[in-house]
Formats: sequence, structure tokens, C-alpha cells
Amino acid sequence: MNFISLENVVFSYTDDENVKSEKNAVDGVSLNIKKGEFVALLGHNGCGKSTIAKHLNAMLLPDSGRVLIDGDDTSDEDKTYDIRKKVGLVLQNPDNQLVASIVEEDVAFGPENLGIPPQEIRERVDYALKAVGMYDYREHAPYKLSGGQKQRVAIAGILAMLPECIVLDEPTAMLDPNGRDEVLSTLLKLNKEKNITVVLITHYMDEAVLADRVVVMDSGKILTQGTPDQVFSQVELLKKHRLDVPQSTELANKLCGCGVKIDKMPLDTEACVKMLEEVLK
Amino acid sequence: MVRDVAFGQYFPGKSLIHKLDPRAKILLLIGFLVIIFCTFNYFSLLLVTLFTALMILSSGVPAKFYFKSLKVIIFILVITSVLNLFYGTGTPIWQWGIIKLTVNGINRAVFVTIRIICLILASSCLTFTTSPTELTDAIERLMKPLNKIHFPVHEIAMMMSLALRFVPTLLEETDKIMSAQKARGADMESGNIIKRVKALMPVLIPLFVSAFRRAYEIATAMECRCYRGGSGRTKMKSIHMSKRDAFSFIALAAIICGVILCNIFIPAVI
Repeated sequence: MNFISLENVVFSYTDDENVKSEKNAVDGVSLNIKKGEFVALLGHNGCGKSTIAKHLNAMLLPDSGRVLIDGDDTSDEDKTYDIRKKVGLVLQNPDNQLVASIVEEDVAFGPENLGIPPQEIRERVDYALKAVGMYDYREHAPYKLSGGQKQRVAIAGILAMLPECIVLDEPTAMLDPNGRDEVLSTLLKLNKEKNITVVLITHYMDEAVLADRVVVMDSGKILTQGTPDQVFSQVELLKKHRLDVPQSTELANKLCGCGVKIDKMPLDTEACVKMLEEVLK
Repeated sequence: MVRDVAFGQYFPGKSLIHKLDPRAKILLLIGFLVIIFCTFNYFSLLLVTLFTALMILSSGVPAKFYFKSLKVIIFILVITSVLNLFYGTGTPIWQWGIIKLTVNGINRAVFVTIRIICLILASSCLTFTTSPTELTDAIERLMKPLNKIHFPVHEIAMMMSLALRFVPTLLEETDKIMSAQKARGADMESGNIIKRVKALMPVLIPLFVSAFRRAYEIATAMECRCYRGGSGRTKMKSIHMSKRDAFSFIALAAIICGVILCNIFIPAVI
């Protein structure tokens, strides 16, 4: 059974005068995500990927179509908090997500809202901080941490609510390369070890490569989807929609254009080196 | 630059004062502040000064941070003590025009200076040893009876803790905006006071705009984490009074008795 299921979702934002914008931010998206999957949602700014993210935990409700989380419709108001407990959303700016002045107290914020008994909150906070590798920083002030560390604390804050799925809306956009690596390896670990469904929204191709499945969006619609291999081999289609491919794929594609025969498009540097070795033999 | 302000910071630790119930600490501080201003002779003044020193030493926070918190008010301190120095009553021991110096004036100046120093040090001791969450939690609990008259206690406590959380973030942002405006040729360090205040406008406007945008995002993030007001919330760190707190109240009571006894048996000097 699908854990998340979007059925023909249409959504447009209203402006200040409460008039619906003519252009749909999300325009008929259908998407199914299974439990334990790692899905990357890829696209330009304004392609509707953040809007999709907010649909997944009932922050936004579709104008038409439905969003089902574990079988529950997000438009059912009684279920709103159940859904938010199951699907945690991590936002782009780590500074604006941390609400307490001490790391562990911030992580406790979610479980406190759920009315969990103190002893269990303590256990959950320790579990979440250990899972993201920030346990040693539990008594630090958030503003003294680096961007990557802050974002990991934000992930711990969601994790402490024991969600089944974490949706991350460009979590690495404001981070330096080190911070990006920290966050991504944390996500991969959570996905593999704790079987948590991850929906990673990004516009970095190199991050999308890590996912089980890549969904590419453009102007509110799904352009293409499949495994990273399948998606990034469609270099022409992606280029047409002004989307990049990973550098290694780009190189391989150019070589193809020059008449070199390549069986499998490489997605990262390692695969690229292997591919070049093969070709040069 | 603006980030050097030590007042209101929290230093995690395991000292006796750290372990006291934050509610007890707030009540003790209020009691102590009152007693500071009930000192009328040097013996009682010495008593409260010693008590303040004891507090600082047992807090385990490096003394330099206490000095830092004093640095902020040094201007106020100098002004009030100088004013008191020359406004004493009694026979002048030195006079120059309308300016006269009396024994009473000197006493007043000494008292006011030491009282303010003790006041700041004692308050710093509270904020240094209590995390903002504990502090707002304690205020929430102390104000709980007001809930009966529909006073939004939880909301106010939440606003306070959020405000405290974002003080360093906003200070950092102010720094950034100032640098950005300076890079565009804004002059903020010269001219008279009116000019300088005017020069601050290009800093304040972007700061306010971004603060509102931040507030909106924080609200979203809080909603994502199932925040829905105070009802049904639990706390990870539940606070409760213990023997330690009783002991600290006894210590305060001893100081109060000491000061009162001094006031009775030793003549007041101001």
C-alpha cells in the first residue's frame, strides 16, 4: 500500500485580496510514495515543489484532487495533527525552525506539543539527538552551531515526534558543502537504518542522485520520474526544461555526442572514473 | 560588536544555584532586591554585599561575565553616584559655588553605587544560571493563578521564550545589515545624535521587514510540529521544589533578619 498518495492535486495561491491566482502552482499532480522510500523531488524555483511539500502534512489543502497520508485524507480536520505527527516537515532556513534557546529543549518542543509524558520525552530527545549525531551538543545554544548542525537539530526536532516520513524542503539551500554532506548522510542513515520515508526537495542534481526515485517537476506538473539512472539518462529532455544533470552525466553525454559508445550513464565521480577507464581500454 | 552583551545570557552548569528551582530563584531574587534597598547602615550593606559575593562564587560562572554585565550600566552608575554625591543634606565639608560636599552625600553615593552593583549582579546571577526556557516556564507557573481571570499566561510565556531565543539571531542580523549599509557608503559613526538616529533608519527598516518574515516562518515551523497552544502540552523538564530550595529560602530569611537587626541596633547613616 502507498504511504503517501496524491491524486490529481491542483492548487493555486490566493493573493492579498483573496483572489485566486490564475496560474496553478500545482497543476494536476498524481504521485505515490511507498513506505521506506527515498524520493527526491527536483525542479526549478517556482515549479511547485515547495507547494507539494506543504500538501504532504496538511499545511496546505488541495483546491481539487486529494492527498492521502497512510489512508487519511488531509482535508479531514480531525486528522490534521495525526498527519503532522506522521509526516514531519523540515524547512529551508534552520534558524527559523528552532524555537528554544537550548538544543535539547528545542528537540523536546514537538513531543511536548503532543502531550507525551516527561520521562518518554527525555528518551525520545536522546534518541533523536543520537540519530542525527548531535547528542554531544544537547546543552548548546542553537545560535552557536554551524548551519549544518542547526539543520540536523531541526531534523532531530521532527524525529522526536517519531514520524514515519520526513519531508525536507530544500534543507541544504543555505548550507556550505560541509553542512550539505552532514545533512545528506544523516538522511541516508535515517532512511536505511530506521526505515523512515524521506521526501527530499532540492534543486541540486547531485543530491537527487542519492535517492531511490527521482521526480522531476516543471511548472506545476510532473515532467518525468524514475530511478536516478532512468531520469538522468534523458539529458535532452532535462536540458530542454533548463534543468541540469550531474556533471559526470553531462560529461558522458558530451562524449556520446562525439561518437563514444557508453552503455550506462555515470551519476557520480566514481562511476564516471570507471566509465572512462572502460572507454580508454 | 553588538553581540558582546553578556546580560541575559545563560551558562549551562551544575552548581547549587543552577540546580535550584527556577520559581524559587525568581522569588529569592525579588526578596533579595527588596532587602538590598532596605540597607541603611554599613553593616547591613556589608551583609548584602557578602551575600551577593557568595552567590556569584557559588554560581560557577566565570567572574569576567559578571564584570561584562556591569560594564553595560557603568554610565548610569557614574551619573547616579555623582548626583547623589552633591545632593546630600547637612553641613558641607567642602564647598565651591553652589556645589557642596557633605558626609551625608558621600554616604548616599557609596550606598547607591553598591546597591545598584548588587542589584545587577544578583539579577545576572539569575539569568546566567537559568535557561530562558526554565525562566519562562517558572514565570508561567508563578502566574498560573491569573489564568482564572482569563489572562493568557501560556501565550505570554511562549512569546517571552521566543523573544529570548531570537535576541542573538536578530543581533547578528543587525550586524550584517549595518555592514551591508556601510558597504554602500552609509555613515553611522559621525555627526550629532539626530544625524546618527537618522542614519539608523536604513538599518531598522530591513531589520523589521525580516523580523516579520521570520515570525511568519517560525509560525509555520511551529505548526508543523503540532503546536496548538498551551492546552494538552507537557514539559520535558518538570520543575519541582526540593530541600535545596527550602534551604535557600532559609538563607534569604537569615539575611533579611540580619539586615533588620542591623537597622534596629545600629543607627542609620543615610
